[in-house]
Amino acid sequence: MATFINFKALVQLLLLPCLLLCSSIAYNSSSVKATMHTNNWAVLVCTSRFWFNYRHMANTLSLYRTVKRLGIPDERIILMLADDMACNTRNKYPAQVFNNENHRLNLYGDNVEVDYRGYEVTVENFLRVLTGRHETAVPRSKRLLSDEGSHILLYMTGHGGDEFLKFQDSEELQSHDLADAVKQMKEKHRFKELLIMVDTCQAATLFNQLQSPGVLAIGSSMKGENSYSHHLDSDVGVSVVDRFTYYTLAFFERLNIYDNASLSSLFSSYNPSTLMSTAYYRRDLYQRRLEEVPVTNFFGSVMETIHTDAAYKALSRKISDRSESQISLDQSIHREERRMLININVCDEIHDVSTEGQEDDSKCPWSAFYRKMQKIENVDSLVNYGLVAMLPFLVFSTWLFH
Amino acid sequence: MAEISEAHDSDSSKSTDNASEAPTQPESEPEFNPKLMRKTKPGLKRLFLTFSVLFSFLLGLQFLWKSVEIYRSPLPFREIDSLSTQLGSDHLIFPLHFHALFVGFDSDPDRLRLSILSEITKLTSQNPKCSHNYTLSVTVDSGSHCLHSPTTSPHSCSYQCGSITAIDFDQNDDVAIDERLVPVFGGKTNEYSVVVVKGESERAVVGKNRRAWVVVGSGREVEIAVVKVAEVLVKVFVNGGREEGSIRNEFMPVGADGRIVLSFNLLNADPRDWVYDWDFRKIDNNLLAPMIEALGPVANISVESQVLYHTPKASFSYWDQQLQSYVFSTKDLPFFVNSNEWHLDTSIAAGGRSKILQFVVYVPSAKECPLLLQLPNGEISNTNGFISPMWGGVIVWNPQGCLKDDNKPTARRTIPMQDLENMFEVFTGQFRQLFGFKSVNIYAGASGVWNLLPSERGFTEWELDVLSRQHTCFNLHSCASTLGSLSRLVQSLPRMIIMDEIGKQVKFSLEAAKLAQSNASNGVYESSAASSRQARSLAEDAFFHPSIMSVSYYSFEHCFAVYSL
Repeated sequence: MATFINFKALVQLLLLPCLLLCSSIAYNSSSVKATMHTNNWAVLVCTSRFWFNYRHMANTLSLYRTVKRLGIPDERIILMLADDMACNTRNKYPAQVFNNENHRLNLYGDNVEVDYRGYEVTVENFLRVLTGRHETAVPRSKRLLSDEGSHILLYMTGHGGDEFLKFQDSEELQSHDLADAVKQMKEKHRFKELLIMVDTCQAATLFNQLQSPGVLAIGSSMKGENSYSHHLDSDVGVSVVDRFTYYTLAFFERLNIYDNASLSSLFSSYNPSTLMSTAYYRRDLYQRRLEEVPVTNFFGSVMETIHTDAAYKALSRKISDRSESQISLDQSIHREERRMLININVCDEIHDVSTEGQEDDSKCPWSAFYRKMQKIENVDSLVNYGLVAMLPFLVFSTWLFH
Repeated sequence: MAEISEAHDSDSSKSTDNASEAPTQPESEPEFNPKLMRKTKPGLKRLFLTFSVLFSFLLGLQFLWKSVEIYRSPLPFREIDSLSTQLGSDHLIFPLHFHALFVGFDSDPDRLRLSILSEITKLTSQNPKCSHNYTLSVTVDSGSHCLHSPTTSPHSCSYQCGSITAIDFDQNDDVAIDERLVPVFGGKTNEYSVVVVKGESERAVVGKNRRAWVVVGSGREVEIAVVKVAEVLVKVFVNGGREEGSIRNEFMPVGADGRIVLSFNLLNADPRDWVYDWDFRKIDNNLLAPMIEALGPVANISVESQVLYHTPKASFSYWDQQLQSYVFSTKDLPFFVNSNEWHLDTSIAAGGRSKILQFVVYVPSAKECPLLLQLPNGEISNTNGFISPMWGGVIVWNPQGCLKDDNKPTARRTIPMQDLENMFEVFTGQFRQLFGFKSVNIYAGASGVWNLLPSERGFTEWELDVLSRQHTCFNLHSCASTLGSLSRLVQSLPRMIIMDEIGKQVKFSLEAAKLAQSNASNGVYESSAASSRQARSLAEDAFFHPSIMSVSYYSFEHCFAVYSL
């Protein structure tokens, strides 16, 4: 018996590495054609409100300033803040937000474009930004318009716990929600690589459930640890920055847009004794080696450029021939009419197809009945009628057998 | 109930009394109260009553169930799966017909045909996604008679023997030769022809309308001709002058709803030096309109323009004494666009899923004028422009002589029309680059250099064919994968409401995809591109419908969790 079990265990032991090898070979061969890295996006979320959470908003604004300084433009940054610090009645320095007690830097000074503010910062809006499922009226500046060549930096700060993050003191974002959103983003090729930075208590648990490839995640503390604030500003009266973000900013203040410090130097700059927590990063889903990835891949801007060798010279005969603007005016009117006609035709086509779909069902009488049933728009009223109709039946039967 | 217990008590008390007296006498039966007791066993009436209650409960249950049912519009999962498998296994196959005409040769057409076919198979890459189905017919016109191979091909019959001679190709005006060839061949959309003639000067030209010609010098004409013919057919007509067969994703700037917005911006870096304006309307009507119409099947394009002020660039330039101008190099290009000061993306008309391409004309300030781009090999660029894939293009335009008008510095000056035309030629080149074509009119192949004739519409017919085919391929695959993701998502969330709109969009998307596939297999590329674009945009609309948010629907455990502590 023992030898049989041993043999079985041995076979399983031998099979497992073979399977791993096969799966890794299969995975490597499937990702053959890599897309070019064309742009960078940043989604910066501050999930707290109220005056005593000043440091969370200062965290997010500091990172916003860093990312803008290194080159990512406002049109590619989605900033979600409760935004109730700068003009709070308890703020001794109105319209100013600091992240250091020396007050050297006013983070709210100029050119801050907040995309989601106040009560718009909800879990639903956050997930809508990530997955791209907005209502049609949402403007482009509030959408994450990334494509398959984008690297996205996702930074979240606030209060969190084991596998959740608290949003605005009323709801929570769970790790499986985040993992699900990232999975849907990957399926729709909304990013090439994603860097998630979380600065909350027990931050590393938030990305436990991630499974999509191309994601690198770093949290300020592990499960069971708290993340602490850095220092208290006795003038403003609250803590103004968190430790993890403070050391991240210290790293970036030394850089400019031309530098190529690597991600591994950023991650190794976190010292557990000064952070008072362990900054844990998860790199099993990320294929590239961290020493080769410059931080500007996520924090700076990148533009692949290709020089234009020559002009396309067939157009030189165009304008000089048409000296009369009258002709061009007529032509433009004609063109617009044609465009309108085409639109009308398209609308008619779609309408025809939809009516056609309805007529096909009229062949079978049962389906006609079913269609009629479906046409009853108010199902609730039908249910109510049914329930009410049962009452006399009940009354009748009780009277009969009383 | 009290009465019954009292009766029972009196009954029991009576029985105890009787028991205490004399247990032998049979007692009379306890008093029979017909209102409360019954003599017979319960029969059918009770059964009927019970069943009527049960029946009414079951009836009510149906209504209850119906009222809490989640409305899910039925999605055609099987058809979605079949579309994915069809595109995966069958590969989308585009039929193409090639015709090679040898004028002034006496070789055997069958032998020529076989050698050209073997060269073609050598050059064809194994493109897994979309493949092409070639048929080749060869005609040899030796002046006195014509030989065809294969003899019964319908395509080669359209050529009249003797209508082309080598003399037609002696002149140097390629455009005239192209016009001359128009009535000779038929005009069908998926036929490409190559004419090989003998002559003194060796030339290889690709015309605007799916025709190319090669002039071979004396010597080993036939072998060279065969190689060149195969090269132009595969590399130019099928692949569009690119190295690989399919377009990479960064050269597909069409938005998910099938629209592109071209945003033209004139940037005055420092309006205190000079302020420039342009006559954009003329350009739009004359130069852009034909190009936009040509690309109609591939994308729905709209144009916007704006003039901006106080827009310095973010990189630096240095003064070059030799060139007497300020120079910036290709290393500075990634940092040229100063997105903090250039507020380009202000389009209100562009929808959320359209693609915006920015075309920027940068007028430098007097401190940096003239500003020239220096290439890595030391030369100065003659276009002064560059592109960034999926973003757009930039051209630097220096005002004439960099002359400042100190009397009226803020007077609005207009860019001269000649400069504007030159600029738009560069823009056309950049637009072609964004779609993956080269901006130069030359294809340098392994067997020599081909001269590509340009077209007034910005894209020649065969280039539009290439675009249509490759966008059809891309759109259909994207549509299939989107619908597949949607069906997987919907099936994984059984308690999510699926609205009718989503069902309709999926249905129309599948119909459009089927139409695109049938058009593609018949060789009608333009309409297949348009249908595939519609299929993709409908599939994206269905997938990105705002009601599909898993956070809005409760999971099944919540039905029980509400009862827990």
